[in-house]
Order: sequence, then C-alpha cells, then structure tokens
Amino acid sequence: MHPADTMGQSRDGAEYGFGFLDEDAKRELRRTIFKAVCIPGHQVPYASREMPIARGFGTGGMQLTLALLGPDDTCKVIDQGADDSVNAANIRNFFALTCPGVTGTLRTEEASVIQTRHRIPELPLRADQILVFQVPYPDPLVVVEPNAATRRRMHGRADYARLWVKLYEDMVAFDEITISHRYPTRINGHYIIDPSPIPRWDVPKLHQAECLYLFGAGREKRIYAVPPHTDAVPITFNDVPFRVEDFTDRKTGRRHCCRRCGAGDSFLDEFLDDAGARVFQCSDAAYCDMRLERQEAAE
Amino acid sequence: MSVLDLPRLWRPATHQALFRRILDVAARPGRIADLSDLLDGRPAALAALATFCDNTQTLADLTGTLTRTDLAFLDVGRAAPDAAGFILASGAEPPDLAPRLGTLDAPEGGATLVVLVDSLSDGPELTLRGPGIKGTGTLAPQGLAPGWLAARARWCADFPMGVDMILTDATRLTVLPRTTQIEGA
Repeated sequence: MHPADTMGQSRDGAEYGFGFLDEDAKRELRRTIFKAVCIPGHQVPYASREMPIARGFGTGGMQLTLALLGPDDTCKVIDQGADDSVNAANIRNFFALTCPGVTGTLRTEEASVIQTRHRIPELPLRADQILVFQVPYPDPLVVVEPNAATRRRMHGRADYARLWVKLYEDMVAFDEITISHRYPTRINGHYIIDPSPIPRWDVPKLHQAECLYLFGAGREKRIYAVPPHTDAVPITFNDVPFRVEDFTDRKTGRRHCCRRCGAGDSFLDEFLDDAGARVFQCSDAAYCDMRLERQEAAE
Repeated sequence: MSVLDLPRLWRPATHQALFRRILDVAARPGRIADLSDLLDGRPAALAALATFCDNTQTLADLTGTLTRTDLAFLDVGRAAPDAAGFILASGAEPPDLAPRLGTLDAPEGGATLVVLVDSLSDGPELTLRGPGIKGTGTLAPQGLAPGWLAARARWCADFPMGVDMILTDATRLTVLPRTTQIEGA
C-alpha cells in the first residue's frame, strides 16, 4: 500500500455525521449541482460552508465530494496528478475520518469519485465515474471585467467580445495565445468556463467525455458542470488552431519520455535531478505506476 | 426520534443514494433511474422532492397527492405555481401554468417541475438531443399530454432561461434538463 494512503483506517470515535457537512448544506449543494448540470457551464452560486481547511485549499471540491459520497463509493484524490502531495493526502485523510465505509484508492480505474487539483487523469474516465475539480478562480471574464454583476450579465448574454480581444492582443504582441493553463473553454455553444488550472493538455478531455465533470470554487462560492457528451471547445481563432503542450526535444527532434515508465503519451513534469540534468516524468502518478506494473507483469 | 426510527425515505443515507441516481440520469437525459429499492412503496416523485426540498425552498403541489405528513417531513414553503421553485404536477392534463424561468443573469432560478406520468416506457417514442446524449436518445413516456412538450419547448426557448423537468412514474424517474431538444409525438 502507498504510504500516503490512510483511507479505510477511519479513526474510532470521531464525532462527525457522515460526510462532515450537515444535511441542509448537502441538500443545498445537491440542488446547486443539479442546476449546474442542467445549465452546462453556468456558474451557479451557493452558500459555501466553512471547512476545517482554509479557503483556497480545495474547499469547493471537498464540499462537492462530501455531497456526493456514500458508503459504497471508492474515492481518489489527486493534486497535480499525484496522490501523495500534502493537499491530496490531507483531503483523503479527511474523507477517511468523516466518511466511514468509503474506500480509498490510488488507482484511477477503481475510483467512483475522483477529486482533483489541476489535472485530469490520463486514463480516460468512464460513465460511472465523476471528476470533481478544485477551482481557485471560476470566472474566465475576471481578466477583462472587474465587476462581478457585469460579468454575470456578460455570461447570460454570451457576450465574450472582450475575452476575444484579449486573445487577439496576445496574437498581436506574441504571435501566440499565451494562456498556459485555465484555458477559456466554451461549453455547449454558450457559456465560457474557466476549466480550473488544468494544462492545455487536459482541455480536449472535457469535450464529449463519458464522465461527468463538476467544478467547485469554495472561496468564490460557485459550482458549475460539464455533463458527459457535451461540446467543450477551447476558444481560438479560425486561423490559429488550439495547441497543447509540446514535449519535443529540440536537440533530437524526438518527444521526451517519462524517465520512470517510458511513456511517450502522457503529460510530463520537467525538473532537475540531483546531478542538475533536466529530466521528465509523468505528472499522473497513478498512470505511471500502472504502466510500470504492466511492464513488470510482462517480464 | 433517532435517525433509525425515521421512515426510510427521510434518512440522510437514502437522500444521498437518491441524489446520485438522479444526478446520473440528469447528466444523461433519456436514461431512467429505478428507485424501487429505496422507496418502501412511496412514490418516486416524493423521493425527488425529499432529495431537494427543505425550508429554504418553495413548492406548488398541483396534484394534491402529498399528504400532511409528507409536507411536514418536506418542511417546504408553499407558493403559487408562478413563484415556486419546485412544482409537482400531473402529466395527464396539459399544463395551465407559468413557471419561473429564471433570468439571463440567474437562470438557476428557473423552476424544477416534477411531472407524474403513468409510465416512463411503452409510450409514444420521443427523440432527444443535447448535452449528455451521445448522438440521439429516446424516451417513451406514457400518459404525458402533448401540451406538456409544447409548453416546455416554449419555456425553454430562450436558453439559458427555462425549466428543468423530472418525469416520474410510480418507482422510476428521468430528467429532461432545459438543454434537451425533444422531437416526435
């Protein structure tokens, strides 16, 4: 078992109701989720509750997950693709403490609910899985309009002219749209969402997916959703195709591969090893482990 | 009264299970959720209301089927159909109401209509398109007056405003969000 995994070892005597939140809070969250799914991409306001971690550390995602989880669920929590970073491990421990019966897992394919910060798992998600995003800034219009009421009006009328101008200014200044993450994405031809700080690599996974995507912004008190089989199109110009991250090695002309599992098809983290050399490794730890296991089994 | 003494339909664990099934079919219009193992013989429409209603919400019961006990457990405010957040109606007669549609700025204010039909299957086949549906889907509700679909199309004409419908028979439930386009019948 992974050292970070304490799920299933629920501490005895923890005096919490199942799921930590009171039933009124859960019911409000469920009403909000229902409306968010019925109006794809619309940021539905809700009364974000105080959680035992600070706002901005995933309270929106936690509230969504707590409103969803039942004792039959299997839950996975990732932060930047990894199960064992501080944010993910502590949130997973919190679910273990407050949701007795819920099984924890590190494997993407075993989870029924996955809470994530800043990545979508590499393994395509199935129809019986729900991906919950922790969202720091839910509104893509915040870069062009400071007034929240005006932004709401712009969203309702699908008035995104100023966002387009922002992209155009990028083209004029840099010959390139310079948004690396939180890429504005149009849902079902109307609302443009901030898909949370996922890399461009993950944005196409929102389009016509099998699973349900739920987004929770606790500090900003908004919930929105991308249902399965829904159009999710990153906005760009007709003559400027949307591009994802390029991992080609400029020297060899070949794509960098993961140094652990050798994957040439995953989103890679770049860092320096102890000797100061640039190395690349899968950002999605579960995907990397799964490939290593398969390679070992094949040998 | 402890939690264990509550009738099953009003226990938190039941609401969680109900919500997950409702969410599953809301995300995939045309799919039908069978709730029979959670209901203890109570109607699926009441289960949908139990999942979502509390004393911050308003309900208009146009069917008169909710008992005083049900209403006490729901603890929901009563309102006229044009002001209510939730409307319980019979699908047998064409609707004569003007539900809340929300506003452009706040379309989530559109009402949720829980509509009772005889059966969710074996009726005239409808073709569904929209978010949540791969290509096209079908639904064949029995006992839904044609006026309902015309009225729904009118209410949902100006996306993002509109109403979201939960169709129920005795034990099953399906969701037609405002984005679903319906053809046929």
